[in-house]
Amino acid sequence: MASGLIWFAPLTSSVGTTLYYQPGLLYGGSLEHDCSPSRSIGYYLESLLCLAPFMKHPLKIVLRGVTNDQVDPSVDVLKVTALPLLKKFGVDGESLEIKINRRGMPPKGGGEILFACPVRRVLQPIHFTDPGKIKRIRGTAYSVRVSPQMANRMVESARSILNKFLPDIYIYTDHMKGVSSGKSPGFGMCLTAETINGTILSAELASNPQGQGAAVLPEELGQNCAKLLLEEVYRGGCVDSTNQSLALLLMTLGQRDVSKVLLGPLSPYTIEFLRHLRSFFQIMFKIETKTPEEEHMGGEKVLMTCVGTGFSNLSKTIR
Amino acid sequence: MEEKEKKKHRAKHSGPKAEKKRKRYLSDLGIGDDENARKRNPKAFTVQSAVRMARTFHRTQDLKTKKHHIPVVDRTPLEPPPVVVVVVGPPKVGKSTLIKCLIKNFTRQKLIEIRGPVTIVSGKKRRLTIIECGCDINTMIDLAKVADLVLMLIDASFGFEMETFEFLNICQVHGFPKIMGVLTHLDTFKNNKQLKKTKKKLKHRFWTEVYPGAKLFYLSGMVHGEYQKQEIHNLGRFISVMKFRPLTWQTSHPYVLADRMEELTNLEDVRINPKCDRKIALYGYLRGAHLKNKSQIHMPGVGDFTVSDVSFLPDPCALPEQQKNRSLNEKEKIVYAPLSGVGGIVYDKDAVYIDLGGSHAHEKEEEEVSPNHELVQSLISTHSAIDVKMASSKVSLFMDSRPLGSEDVGQEFVMPKEERQIDLKTGRVRRKALFEEEEKENDDAVSDEEDDQEEEAAAMSEDGSGSDGEDEDAEQESDRELLGEEIAVGRTKRLKTQVAREEAVNELPAFADSDDNLEMSSEGEGETAPKGSEMEDEEDEQRSYEHESSDSDFEAAGKRVAESMQREINSEDIVMRPQISDHSLKRKAVLITDSGNCTAGEASESDVENSSLDEGDDEGSSHDELEVEESHRKGFQHNQAKKADGIRQTKLKAVEAEDDDVENLLREEEEYEEKLDFSADTTGALKWKEDLTQKAAQAFLRQQCSTPSLRKLIYGTAVEDEDHESEDAGGELGGLFRVSRPDKASKQKANALDCSKFLVEKLQDWDLEEVMNSIRDCFVTGKWEDDKDAAKLLEEDEELYGDFEDLETGVVHKGKCATEDESGSEEDEEDGKMSKPEPEEEEKKKELMDKKWKLKEMFDAEYDEGDATYFDDLKEEMHKQAQLNRAEFEDQDDETRVQYEGFRPGMYVRIEIENVPCEFVLNLDPHYPIILGGLGNSEGNVGYVQLRLKKHRWYKKILKTRDPLILSLGWRRFQTIPMFYIEDHNGRHRLLKYTPQHMHCGATFWGPITPQGTGFLAVQSVSGTMPDFRIAATGVVLDLDKSITIVKKLKLTGFPFKIFKNTSFIKGMFNSQLEVAKFEGAAIRTVSGIRGQIKKALRTPVGAFRATFEDKLLMSDIVFVRTWYPVSIPTFYNPVTSLLKPAGEKNSWSGMKTTGQLRHDRGIKVKQNKDSLYKPIVREKRHFNKLHIPKALQKALPFKNKPKNLEKKRKTPKDQWRPAVIREPHEKKISALLSALSTVNNYKIKKAKVKHREQLKEYLKVKQKEDEQKFKRQKEAKKKIYRILGQREKMRQKSSLKGCSKGEKST
Repeated sequence: MASGLIWFAPLTSSVGTTLYYQPGLLYGGSLEHDCSPSRSIGYYLESLLCLAPFMKHPLKIVLRGVTNDQVDPSVDVLKVTALPLLKKFGVDGESLEIKINRRGMPPKGGGEILFACPVRRVLQPIHFTDPGKIKRIRGTAYSVRVSPQMANRMVESARSILNKFLPDIYIYTDHMKGVSSGKSPGFGMCLTAETINGTILSAELASNPQGQGAAVLPEELGQNCAKLLLEEVYRGGCVDSTNQSLALLLMTLGQRDVSKVLLGPLSPYTIEFLRHLRSFFQIMFKIETKTPEEEHMGGEKVLMTCVGTGFSNLSKTIR
Repeated sequence: MEEKEKKKHRAKHSGPKAEKKRKRYLSDLGIGDDENARKRNPKAFTVQSAVRMARTFHRTQDLKTKKHHIPVVDRTPLEPPPVVVVVVGPPKVGKSTLIKCLIKNFTRQKLIEIRGPVTIVSGKKRRLTIIECGCDINTMIDLAKVADLVLMLIDASFGFEMETFEFLNICQVHGFPKIMGVLTHLDTFKNNKQLKKTKKKLKHRFWTEVYPGAKLFYLSGMVHGEYQKQEIHNLGRFISVMKFRPLTWQTSHPYVLADRMEELTNLEDVRINPKCDRKIALYGYLRGAHLKNKSQIHMPGVGDFTVSDVSFLPDPCALPEQQKNRSLNEKEKIVYAPLSGVGGIVYDKDAVYIDLGGSHAHEKEEEEVSPNHELVQSLISTHSAIDVKMASSKVSLFMDSRPLGSEDVGQEFVMPKEERQIDLKTGRVRRKALFEEEEKENDDAVSDEEDDQEEEAAAMSEDGSGSDGEDEDAEQESDRELLGEEIAVGRTKRLKTQVAREEAVNELPAFADSDDNLEMSSEGEGETAPKGSEMEDEEDEQRSYEHESSDSDFEAAGKRVAESMQREINSEDIVMRPQISDHSLKRKAVLITDSGNCTAGEASESDVENSSLDEGDDEGSSHDELEVEESHRKGFQHNQAKKADGIRQTKLKAVEAEDDDVENLLREEEEYEEKLDFSADTTGALKWKEDLTQKAAQAFLRQQCSTPSLRKLIYGTAVEDEDHESEDAGGELGGLFRVSRPDKASKQKANALDCSKFLVEKLQDWDLEEVMNSIRDCFVTGKWEDDKDAAKLLEEDEELYGDFEDLETGVVHKGKCATEDESGSEEDEEDGKMSKPEPEEEEKKKELMDKKWKLKEMFDAEYDEGDATYFDDLKEEMHKQAQLNRAEFEDQDDETRVQYEGFRPGMYVRIEIENVPCEFVLNLDPHYPIILGGLGNSEGNVGYVQLRLKKHRWYKKILKTRDPLILSLGWRRFQTIPMFYIEDHNGRHRLLKYTPQHMHCGATFWGPITPQGTGFLAVQSVSGTMPDFRIAATGVVLDLDKSITIVKKLKLTGFPFKIFKNTSFIKGMFNSQLEVAKFEGAAIRTVSGIRGQIKKALRTPVGAFRATFEDKLLMSDIVFVRTWYPVSIPTFYNPVTSLLKPAGEKNSWSGMKTTGQLRHDRGIKVKQNKDSLYKPIVREKRHFNKLHIPKALQKALPFKNKPKNLEKKRKTPKDQWRPAVIREPHEKKISALLSALSTVNNYKIKKAKVKHREQLKEYLKVKQKEDEQKFKRQKEAKKKIYRILGQREKMRQKSSLKGCSKGEKST
């Protein structure tokens, strides 16, 4: 990739990966990269989401590989959850987008996405403590190289569960054909719940990769996915569990102001991330546990408060 | 004061009072009042021109928007740090005198010598740190970066000096602090008129430099070596009410202006190697932004360091706590200046000196001891005695050093007398700054006088206003009282300083106990003691001394030493000295052991622990709760570290139940970790998934069941960290290498899958009703909170808006008066019969009012929102953020707060730094400011920095590329090698050899990364003084780019060796075929201007190529190709380490020399290229070959372009030559006559022609006139005819119409 952009080189050591790191400025610009099919693009995209706002030139990168798998957050989920989160920090504009050109399922992949992000000099502090009530549920049920009926079956089963809570449900079916369907068959769905205050919670599930594990019934998958979404709703918070670390990082990198965010229970990944934040930035979060006042509002929440480090994008040129 | 009373009353001419009077007077007369005028004559105030009105409106709007600044979040803390007042000016202008006078004005204390910053309390909400700035450019640069207010002293008798202008320019670059000019030496003017003129001249010059209307203060003269009291008082008032604008650099970086330094190096290390790197602690108020522990800092003049430890201390110069009174009482007027010797104590590098005062300093006090107050005094005095005790407890004296007396110090630093000054003047080179404008200004002095008078009148009024209030009273105290105060205040100060010092040293338990007892008792007594006058205070002290001297406690006595020394005659001094030295030795020993401990094991103690420890030690018994906490922490630490320390074990006993809890928790966590480890080992890497779920489940459970320990779960405890670090320390191999052994937990995590998804370990059964109910209200379909529930809100609205009449149907709807009815129903029932109509009416009224109010609110909301601009919104947002910033951590105690947000500005901090060069400690000179500037993220790195740079207009020389230059950028001063460039139209950065004269250019250098938009200045040398202006260039950082693209032009030349028509073979330009291949297609040119292109390399000779041109070359042509060669920037970055120089040489730092300097020093002449020498140009005459046109072409050419064969015609054969005619004399006569006649004839003809022409002109004129008339006539005639025709036509039409209508009727 470009000089100075942090990137993971392909497998070299016995452990699995080595980190190839070339220190310097984040340059950005138009790039292309073939991701390893062992991890999905979401894994790469997560790190890019952290770095992209602080490049010298706006980033426009094409990533190729696995778009949806069972391990990492899929591109669909990041598209609907991470981008609105970035917008909250003042990273917005027309050029902020994730576009799925082709879908690729494991094991062979073959998907392609475009990620574009503008650059900012400083980030805004956020005060995101009221998640609000969920007003609608949206989602995508995708299927590649399998019967297009799969998607419809998933939607039906998911709706059967979610309809008990909310009438405003719309799940798109996305069946890709030909070149844009990647190299391996598979299907899956991701669901998002949007609140009146703009909080987006998400859940997703994907079918087992070809030749691994038993075949999954689409109805079962749809139901499970819906239940996962309900679980996520139970956890609650203003940021869904996948993006907790991104939100916390961007809060840390804000100006020297107080930022607040209400989260659901912290994931182990986030906890480890918080430790890293302390060792890198000397930032400690004020952590308060909040029990919802009323009974039917899900589990306990965590209010995270911190003062930003006053980080500013040193790469951006001024004229 | 009596003179003032005698002064005649002067009626006010300005101000609100005068205005009111004038108004009343005018209204009495029946005129005046704008309001009335408007009423009287409304026509005079109508709009006369809409355009003009629009324009004025436009202009006012423009001006309004111009005033807008981008709103920034106000991050100043609630208790701001002292304002840094920098007193700057050329030597012998009266800087130290001014500082002394100001300090005396604010605190009634007289400082003997000013060394380093002096912090004083100037008001209820303001403290000042005053520091003097010498003329060393290093100091000027450093202090300009931390200054909030600059007092710029100007010697009026001499005028402006270069230093002043240099300082102003430095200020401009590093953010402009408030600047106030102070004119001194005004008493040297004998002539009043001359004085006024000078004032005026200087004022205007000052205004052009700072801003028009900048405040310039006049200090008229000296009284007993001090400035006049009233003037200083006014100056002080100005300073203490001044408002400051936040400066970008200062608000975004933490910084400390250190006012104390302490060395913590292990003495043994120093003994072994006297030049070893030192460990030091610096003290000072934190300013700017929050400071994080372990962050990077820069000490200007020393270098970059990492903070090894930070802790905050109790404020040594605290603001008064309760603010009932308008002014400060005497106890609150504190001065803190550890380097200057406040209260008779002078801190040196490693010792503390006590000022004994003059031998007759105490005589007066002793006289005043009145025995009848003895008892009361002894009671009162105990409180202050504590201060002294604590103060002297940390004092370590040199056994053999002579204590500094006020006399010895005073002699050196007396304000020089007039004659001496003159002597100095002749000796010293003063750098007068003269301006041509000023000389011009001298001429128009007459008009200026009026202005001056006005100004003086204003100053007088200020004086008048200044003299009221309590401040005035305080000033009139007698000298005797002053003396007493001085001592009293001094003691309290000592307490503060000592408290600050204390934390470095762990106290002996016995010592602490005695301390505590005394303090307790004293506190009790202190409360009973009334706040007496100064007289009483003095007596107190006397009593206290007597009382305490009888105290058997050795420690206490030792602490009293300072006191006693001040009181007793010198003879007693000798007796006391051994005691002191004894004591000091002890203290030192303690200190050493402590620091040893620190370095060995506990250096890694987290700051939290440390600070809590320190605090506890200091004020242990005074705050009981604190001690409990602290002791339990301590115990905790011991468990972990397993260190047996005699003193601490006593405190271990105080471990409480809470402690156990924490321990349990910890154990739990350890077990947890072990378990994880075990599982990882046994199951192997493949079964990570199970492991993960298990782990997640556990983590989740923990979060659920023990919520308060969430923080502990994430961050662990400080003790844990310490444990790890001590392990690390143990893993050293031969002191060189360190085994980096990742701890168990991280190892485990490294093997786990790195995934951000939060997997659900066990799905809840979402088909069950209870489970579903648990999230029912998360959806809009669920129940809402009361304040948001639509139905509820609607109901509320109903009460107010319920009444309405349906106009279409005519039905009147009545709202239910829900709450009011219910609440009021009982009343109604009770009062109903008594007076039924009244409450109903009232109710109605109330309803109506409510209605109206609601409507009004809606209206307001609608219209105010529309009115609010984007700017207002932004400002509001910033304000909200600022409030949140302040409020968020307000309720927490400082220790936890520090963990979350770092050390906040306004705190008095102690910063430990390791690996400081020993020269810094050895050559410490308190006159030079020690600044710790915090660095932001990656500002400690070094890289390529692009600047926009402009040579300063006043700098005499131009700057050369590749000459080392000293830049002041961010906190730093450093020498580097900049390369200058200019951007061409196509974006190419072309190297420049020299900076352009009056233009910006780009510059790139290798140096510290500094955020874009930061200003910088450049000087060529910081050593000594130069006769000229020293600031060479200024500019701003644009970019931090790794890839530099500066290129310089490189012309490669070659020569044709074979020429065909338009094709030539060129050699000598390249050295190989490969090189040619790289340049294939490049544009080449001959010197004569024929353009061409490189085509292809030839095989022989090597490096030759074929090229085509637009024309045929000559063998004599030189061909060249223009290429651009990237220039590499020298990676040279050399911080200016001026503070490491020995005392007295601090302004003599010199870094890398320029080539020119080196040549000059060594006497090396430049070897000049022979070709570059100028020679007289000799141009040979060039002969060009004839132009040959082929015959065929000649034939084809048109006649015009055909070469006329003139030469051929000229060459007529001899036989065709015509013979010359030789005339006879007669013939000659004839021809002469003929020519004469023809001349005459010619003249006649010419004349006739002219005449004819004139006639013609006349004729034409006449003709034209006639034509015009004719034309006119014709036109008129035509008009007539046409009119007649028209009439006729009309008539005809009319008649035809008539006929028509008739015809119709007839039919």
